[in-house]
Parts: sequence; C-alpha cells; structure tokens
Amino acid sequence: MKSVPKLIRRFVGIMTLSIILLVILNITFFAIVFVRNTSTFSPWDMADHAAAALQLTDGGYSLSDNVMAKLKEENAWALLIDNDTRQVVWQTDNLPANIPMQYTLSDVAELTRGYVNGYPAFTGEAQTGLLVLGYPKDRFWKHTRASWDYNFIADLPKNTIIIFAINIVLILLIYAAVNSKLLRSIKPITNGIQNLSNGIPVYMKEKGVLSELAEKINKTSEILQMQSEQLRRKETARANWIAGVSHDVRTPLSMIMGYAGQLENSKNLSEIECKKAAAIVKQSSRMKDLINDLNLASKLEYDMQPLTMKQENAISIIRQVIVDFMNTNIDDKFPIKWITNDTLSACYINADKDLLKRAISNLIQNSINHNENGCAIYASVCDNNNTCKICIEDNGIGASDEQIDRLNNTPHYMICDTNTAEQRHGLGLLIVKQIIKGHNGEIFIDHSEYGGFKVVLIIPK
Amino acid sequence: MNEDYLLNKRILLVDDEQELLDMVLSILIEYGFQNVKTAKNVKEAMEQAEKSRPELAILDVMLPDGNGFELMEQLKKGGDYPILFLTACEEDNDKFKGFGLGADDYIIKPFLPKELLFRVMAILRRSYKGEDPLVCLHDSQIDFSRAEVIKNDEHIPLTAKEHDLLSALYRNAGRIVTIDALCEAAWGDNPFGYENSLMAHIRRIREKIEQNPSHPVSLVTVKGLGYKLIIEGK
Repeated sequence: MKSVPKLIRRFVGIMTLSIILLVILNITFFAIVFVRNTSTFSPWDMADHAAAALQLTDGGYSLSDNVMAKLKEENAWALLIDNDTRQVVWQTDNLPANIPMQYTLSDVAELTRGYVNGYPAFTGEAQTGLLVLGYPKDRFWKHTRASWDYNFIADLPKNTIIIFAINIVLILLIYAAVNSKLLRSIKPITNGIQNLSNGIPVYMKEKGVLSELAEKINKTSEILQMQSEQLRRKETARANWIAGVSHDVRTPLSMIMGYAGQLENSKNLSEIECKKAAAIVKQSSRMKDLINDLNLASKLEYDMQPLTMKQENAISIIRQVIVDFMNTNIDDKFPIKWITNDTLSACYINADKDLLKRAISNLIQNSINHNENGCAIYASVCDNNNTCKICIEDNGIGASDEQIDRLNNTPHYMICDTNTAEQRHGLGLLIVKQIIKGHNGEIFIDHSEYGGFKVVLIIPK
Repeated sequence: MNEDYLLNKRILLVDDEQELLDMVLSILIEYGFQNVKTAKNVKEAMEQAEKSRPELAILDVMLPDGNGFELMEQLKKGGDYPILFLTACEEDNDKFKGFGLGADDYIIKPFLPKELLFRVMAILRRSYKGEDPLVCLHDSQIDFSRAEVIKNDEHIPLTAKEHDLLSALYRNAGRIVTIDALCEAAWGDNPFGYENSLMAHIRRIREKIEQNPSHPVSLVTVKGLGYKLIIEGK
C-alpha cells in the first residue's frame, strides 16, 4: 500500500520536530532559571564599583552611603589591602572576626581566584590598594580553576552539532527498531486490505499483535467473495435465461418467417394478401433482430461475450456490412452511400470483427427503422492518426436536441436499477455503446449535416 | 442461364421438428428442387443417406438421438458432399467460424426463404461447378470447366486469377461482392494492397465478357464497395 511509507515519513517528521521543539524549550527554560537566579549585577562589578567609591580623606577611608547601603542589603563585607604593606587599612564594620588582617602575595592570588576563609571574595582596584568584597558563604559558588584546552573551545560548535546529529540518528534507530516489528505485522494487513479492494480473496494468519484485525479482514474477505459469487451466479442465470428464451423463440419464428416469406411471393394470392404477408415478414424480421440484440446485450452486459480482438481493416468490415444490407435487407427507399475517401483503402484497428459488424449493422438498421418513408444513408471512415473515425448518418427525419441529449445521457432500461418509465427503449444503440466500450472507443450522437441522424464512433488503433 | 442441373441435386433434410421440416421442404420444392428427402433423427438420416446418396445435406444441430456434428462425420464417411447447418443457437457461431468442422455453411434460425435458397444455391454452384453447363451472360458465356469465355463464337481463355475472380462473383451471382472479398479470393488471406491489381483484372475480364467494356452490363461496379456479376436466366 502506497500510504505506508507516507505514514512512516509522517511519523519520522513529527518525531524530528518534537526533538527540535524539546531542545528549544529546554534551552529557554534553562535561560529563564539562570536569569532568575542571578543578581541584577555581578559581584565583580560591585567590587569595582565599591573600589571606585572608596575615598581617602583626612579622617581616613570612607565609602559613600549608597554603596554602603547596597553592601548591607547583600549582607556583604569589604576591606582594603594596602599595596605596600599588604595590611588591611580599612574594613567595614561587619567584617567577620576570622578574616586575617595581613596578606601575603599568594594569599591575594588565592582570594582573587576563590575564597577568604570560605567566604566567596571579589576584588576591585582602589587608589592605594586592593578592595576585597566578601559575601556570605552560601551566596556564590566560584569556579576556582577555570581553564580549558584551546582546541576544546575552538571545536565546541562543531562538536555540539555532531553530538546533536548523533543523538537524532540514535533516536531514529531506536524508533526504527521498536517500530519495525509493528510494521512487519501491519504489512500483511495493508496487503490484505489492498487485495480486498481489488476483489482478490484474502486469508491471513491470525497471530501477533494485530491478530484480531487479521481475523476481521479474513471474515470480510469471505463475505465479499460470497456476495460476488452470488452476484455472478445471478447474472449468469439471467443471461442464460435470456439466451434460453431467445433460443426457444427461434424455431417458431422460423416457421412464421418461412411461410410468410413464401406467401409474400406467392402467385396465387392477391396483391393485398401479398402485402399482408410482406408485413408479417417485416415484423417477424424485426422480432428476429430484437431477439438477437437482447441476447447479445445481456451477454455483453454480464461479461459473458468475450471479445476476440485482432488487427482488422475497418474499411473492409464496414464495406461488407453495407454490401450485406444492399444484397438482402433493403429496398430502393434506403440507398446506402459510401462516402469514404477513395485514396483510403485500409484503416487497421484492434477489433472484434463480428461485434464491430454488428454495431455498424445496428446503426444502419436504426436509420431504416426510424424512417418509414425512406432515407439515404451515408457511411464513411476517416483515419485520424491514432484513431479510426466511423460515421453513419442519414438524411431522414432525425431527432430533436432533447432526444439526442437523452440518447447521449439517459441510462437504458437494461442497465438502470430504478423505474423504467423514463428510460430509453430499443436495444440497437445500447449494443453499439456496449461494443464500442469493449473496444475502448467513444460514441457521439448528433444531428447530421445531411439533415437526419448521425452517429460517430471513434475507435483507437 | 440455366441452373436446372442444380435443382436436380439430391438433398437430405434433417430436423427433429416435423413442422419446420415441412416448411423447409415446401420452400425447396416451390423453388424447383425435385429430389429432397427428409429425416427426423440421426438413425433415419443414416438410412436415408444410404438409400438416396444425397449430394447436399441440410442438418439441424440438435437432434433427439445425437447432434448434427456427429451426424455430419458419419455422413461424410459415405461420400464427400456439402453440408449446410441450421441452428437455433447463436453460440454455435464460434463452432462454425472458419468452417473448421467441415461444414460448408450455416444459417442461424430464424431465416427467410430467400436467404436459405441463396445459401443452398451458392453451395451447390461451388460444389458442382465442374458439371455446370455454360454460364450465360448478356454478351457472352463462361465455361468454368475449360476456363474460357465464349463471345461471338470466339473462345477466349481465362487466366487463373480471372477464373478465381469470376468464380467468386458467380457464386454470389446477382449480389455485390466486396473489393476485399474479391482480393481475398484471388490473393488469399492478406489481401491488403491489391485494389489496383483488382481493378486491372476486372478491366481485362470486362474486355473478355462485355461487348462494350466501357459500359459493362454483366460485371457492374458498385462504387467504392465492390462488383456484381449479373447472369441471364433465373
């Protein structure tokens, strides 16, 4: 089934999107938490600020009130180590007692990097010394030995992308591994459903995760097969019934036609009686056509008439039909005119010769049946590259636009499942349509330029 | 022309329906056939065939004690003569196609008397052509057995192709034979492309059979469709 790869693509797409979305969400969440938990300005800035604010006056060192207030607010303390003596020369009042008052160079390096007796320390450069700012022990965590290999930092973006990609691939592999089993059990089911829709009988093993589904599909298949078998039997029975009736009618009709045909030409009968016999011949001939048509229409409708397609010369076929008519069936009231271009002597199509003959013959008979007072019938064949166009038309009474529309569009009673009051009767054109459909061709009904009725058949080569 | 010799042919007619048998018999007799025997089943048909040695058999396909095809095989053992089938089954169409079974022609019921008579005459003409007297045309006579035309007491020989074409036209005398059917009669199964040759042969035939070949009266053209041979007499 074509939709399975589509389904998988969609799943993979959704998953990739979810991963990207999750990464973005996590980064945002982390950023928000980071920002929330960080004071409005860094302690290093605070130290620089305090160092700049420390003034040496006559009365000693003093810190402006607002800086002092900020330090108090943070519970921080400050001291100033003199550049020359490395003694503490000034400190805030809240300096813890265990803070040394004398510093060596290594002490200064240590506190700059980290802590003074466990208090996180930050330094700022004052005029005469180093201002040290100390915060409560649980206020900051300092990374005392922060240094990375240069290449590590340089390759960081590349490595991040690689790691991210590996993650994605890993996740997909896990997905594929987990789902392949499920897909394996889905595949026979999708195949089964596809076969069901093509009318092929389905039987699947009822085991695995989706055994219940398989069981239901098996059951559906059984029901469908049963129904189509019943339908086929009904159709066969109907076609056989029609064939049987038409067979049984043939022998009595032979008697009627035979005797009426003899009487028609009898020298012992009066002219009126001969005419009556001729009418019987004519009407029984129509009944014969009707029986033939009914039988063929039902067989075509129920696919019981296999088409034997061969390369045939359409011109030769139509010529034969016309000549058959001229030799037997019609009088002078219905001249048939062959108006095909003389230079065209062959137009080969893939066709069932007998059925195509029947179609053409039905069209000519149609013109004869509908024009009591006679009409000329025109037959032509055109070779249009990939198709063969056969045209049968007459200069008879023709049909109204409405009738033509109905012929083109209204279903015939034989193939319609609603009431038959509104539908078309007469089997001639129905058979033509069925036969042309069997040849993958098209049929168009129209007005003829000669004034009557026109039927165009287009048959692919 | 005189086709009386054909009307003397012995015909065996087999059908299980008495009324149909009577009707076909009356059609044949009314037309002039003088030797028609009937039978209602295979057994009677075999007896009748032995007695009367038919020269044409008209058989129904469905018979009470067998079928027409089996009967045909048995009849053919007794002598090689033409068989025409009558059938009420359209389905038999396929069986007859190409007359592979050895049948010469078939008619699907119901049929008009003239159709039956035409088929019977066509088969007889074809099968007993060698015995026929001269075929009379308006301006000449054809002698198929010698393959020549007799015009104004002059004997003009026919070529093989001309003979084939005239035979095909004569079998369908009075009817149009299509260009395609004539080409097939002269050149076989793949007749495409012989239209011009056909026209040339027709012209030569006309020169032999017509008094005035530019205004033919016996071999007439039906434009675009075919030709028709008109014989004198019946």
